[in-house]
Amino acid sequence: MAATSALVSQPYQGHAMTADPADIQIDIRNVGKVYGTKGQDNAVIALDGVTLKIRRGEFISLLGPSGCGKSTLLGIVAGFQAASSGQILQDGRPITRPGPSRTVVFQDYALFGWMTVQHNVEFGLKAKGMPKAERAEIARALIATVHLTGFEDKYPHEMSGGMKQRAAIARALAPDPDILLMDEPFGALDAQTRVLLQEEIARISSDAGKTVIFVTHGIDEAVFLADRVVVMSPRPGRVREEVLVPLPRPRTAEMRSDPWFVSTVNDLWETLKPEWQKGE
Amino acid sequence: MEAKADAGALMAAPALRQSASPRPLTRILANRSVRAALGLTAFFGLWQVLSSVGVIDDFLLPSPVAVARALWDLAVDGSLWIHLGASLQRVAVGFVLACIAGLALGLVCGWWRTISDYVRPVVEALRPIPPLAWIPITILWFGLGDAASYFLVFLGAFFPAFVATYTAVRSLDRNQMNAALCLGAKPWQLFWDVLIPASLPIILPGLRIALGVGWMCVVTAELIAAQTGLGYLIQQSRMLFQINNVVAGMVTIGLVGFAMSAILERVERKVNAWAPSERN
Repeated sequence: MAATSALVSQPYQGHAMTADPADIQIDIRNVGKVYGTKGQDNAVIALDGVTLKIRRGEFISLLGPSGCGKSTLLGIVAGFQAASSGQILQDGRPITRPGPSRTVVFQDYALFGWMTVQHNVEFGLKAKGMPKAERAEIARALIATVHLTGFEDKYPHEMSGGMKQRAAIARALAPDPDILLMDEPFGALDAQTRVLLQEEIARISSDAGKTVIFVTHGIDEAVFLADRVVVMSPRPGRVREEVLVPLPRPRTAEMRSDPWFVSTVNDLWETLKPEWQKGE
Repeated sequence: MEAKADAGALMAAPALRQSASPRPLTRILANRSVRAALGLTAFFGLWQVLSSVGVIDDFLLPSPVAVARALWDLAVDGSLWIHLGASLQRVAVGFVLACIAGLALGLVCGWWRTISDYVRPVVEALRPIPPLAWIPITILWFGLGDAASYFLVFLGAFFPAFVATYTAVRSLDRNQMNAALCLGAKPWQLFWDVLIPASLPIILPGLRIALGVGWMCVVTAELIAAQTGLGYLIQQSRMLFQINNVVAGMVTIGLVGFAMSAILERVERKVNAWAPSERN
């Protein structure tokens, strides 16, 4: 409900290249999530009546302060946990469990520490039963895409945070998912690495034409990457407003100084400030 | 290694703080095997000196030289090898059985909380009963044969194996499991490529402890319920007032246990090279 009532001030104009306005890939219908038993004192309402339609090929940023339920929502879309009420459809079918059409990039990388980068990336291909030579080749190509060529035989603990996240992105892309779910993927990285990886993700998502849901609490990151920024508010987690981003794709570094970009980031900051302060 | 050597140099010779290469003696002492050998030599050396000057009454404790001579005689007449072989065979059988049962039950209890709620109280209530207290019942059930020793080794080794496996599965990284699931991992892949390797850094040290306990149990069992083995050698020598052979048996037990532990530690370091606890 919240999504439809809150704001879309202008009609969607189809900025994502592949997005057909009628082609809904993920349909989040009135989703609620309660931790603990409803009605009891210790029950926490993490999500309340979240409705959101995501088009095929669209890049969505879920923006909000900690505790707004954005990661919970991502977890439900991934199939890691079930909604307490409402439902989420993927191409018309309810999501019931995790699967390779929706892969996840985690803030803490969640790489398999006992595997080399090569084997991490091959994991999803092995799950498909792909022959060894073929999956090795595909993995090498993906490792090249994220600029990790030469690090195939390294273990995660031998690499920096930024490199680990590149490896995790390659691993998530390997099963050729329809949807890429990113849960504050750059939250643990230093500022410079974060900016570099934002540009990488802008390029990769544009090239691969994936639907992306990108959870973040960074306003500029949310606006820089997304076709549509979905702003959430905490306690209970609700969709508060949506902002369409008219910047062309692929996104490049100079767009950060685009007047529209600068003023939108500032406006968002002004509106979100009270909530952020409350959350601190 | 280098850092340690440098630190050693600083402590040993403050004047040489600027020197790039530490003195040869410091470098040799930085080797941990050398330190281990020196520690053991000092122990036996002190024991020998105290025996030679008469502080230690050789009726109560024979000198290392006398023990070595007894060991040599036992080795030459072949009885040492028969007893050692019998003990090793018993500990091997009991340990393998304990590993199978401990790993299986630990995995099941770690994975399914409901089963663990039923099973763990039983395990935790049996765990404090020392193997020694099981001896009467063991003899009643199995008589005075190898089976009694197998059972006692099993009892000693099972609990550390179980606890380590249970703890390992319980402390699995939720995100890593989720990552595997969203990449489409099949059950076998989840088990062999994620669950097992992720658990080994906790399971293997547990198995090393289990083997140590099993080794103690086999000797205990042989003191009472066997006609061969190092425990039997000690018991028989005691009755014949051959105190040298008693201590020779004890020294063999100590050295073999030390060797087993050292070998397993090497294996651990190789297998778990990726894990944070095994670094440096």
